[in-house]
Amino acid sequence: MPFSMIVAQMLAFNGEIVDEEAGIRSHIYRCEIESPVEFDLVKDADGTLQIGSTPPLYYVDTSFRPSYHKLRIKAELSEDGNGD
Amino acid sequence: MATENTAWQLEDFVDSLVVDLDKTRETLAVKAINKPLSYTVKELALDLNIFPSYDGDSVKFITAQPGQEGASKVTIQLGSITDQQVRATTKIPGGKNDLNIDDIPIDKTTKKQLRKLGVSSVDDLKQIEQKNVDLKKVTDNTIDYSALANQIQKSKRDQSPPRVNGVSLSLDESEGPYLLIKGQNLAVDPKFPPVAVVNQTLAGIMSSSPDEVKIRVSDEHALAKDNEVILTFDPFAVIRLNVKAQ
Repeated sequence: MPFSMIVAQMLAFNGEIVDEEAGIRSHIYRCEIESPVEFDLVKDADGTLQIGSTPPLYYVDTSFRPSYHKLRIKAELSEDGNGD
Repeated sequence: MATENTAWQLEDFVDSLVVDLDKTRETLAVKAINKPLSYTVKELALDLNIFPSYDGDSVKFITAQPGQEGASKVTIQLGSITDQQVRATTKIPGGKNDLNIDDIPIDKTTKKQLRKLGVSSVDDLKQIEQKNVDLKKVTDNTIDYSALANQIQKSKRDQSPPRVNGVSLSLDESEGPYLLIKGQNLAVDPKFPPVAVVNQTLAGIMSSSPDEVKIRVSDEHALAKDNEVILTFDPFAVIRLNVKAQ
């Protein structure tokens, strides 16, 4: 998966928390995500480095461990987002 | 089947990362059209497990593969910056006449030395020269500005070589014959008046400009059916013409 997609997917959550019974509506205005990722760096035909990445795929502890890099993202509600 | 990881340079990685983040921003901007709550990336950091290597010229990295231990860690942190910060820390790209150091036929060592000094274009070099910095001293006598300036001039001239469109024999007001050379990028350097040799005899230049050069000819040039004209416009542009009389 291209790196741009993984970041976009990580931020594709519904940032609104609604409790209709209590009549409360909250929204997430800032989030920090820290995740291990795997990278696949390849050079395409014109020599440009393509960053492919994936979150950890295997949940079974094995003796042959993938090399996990760490990704940290700080995201904020867009200025034009409807935060009211 | 897993393939061997490719070695990469930090510059390439950061370039690709920035391109990817731009794509992310575009994706999120599209999403914001339909979803009222959308997020923008303010900071992004990556801790990479890598194995660095130095081949004597540049440092390259290979990302650690599964099962590989003892890798070094490189942290890359990208923060969002304002356009004012970009202006303050980024060099304005050179003008259309600026030349990249990579486009000048100079040896690799000199290029490397120049890059270490933060020189990436001819305009950078000019700024250093204007500040009276002695390149010889700061590079342990490895770079001579005058030699480099010649190389640059040559490269610039190579990009706009002289082009002859036509040659004709004309008469001036006093009925004196002259050869009119018409073309492009002919006498472009005012510091060097062109020199002409017609049939192995030096000929005077009546006038010169980038578009035309007038060469005085007389009996001593022995104009015949086939005539050889050698024109030196400047130290880096010499042409040889075979002018046939009709």
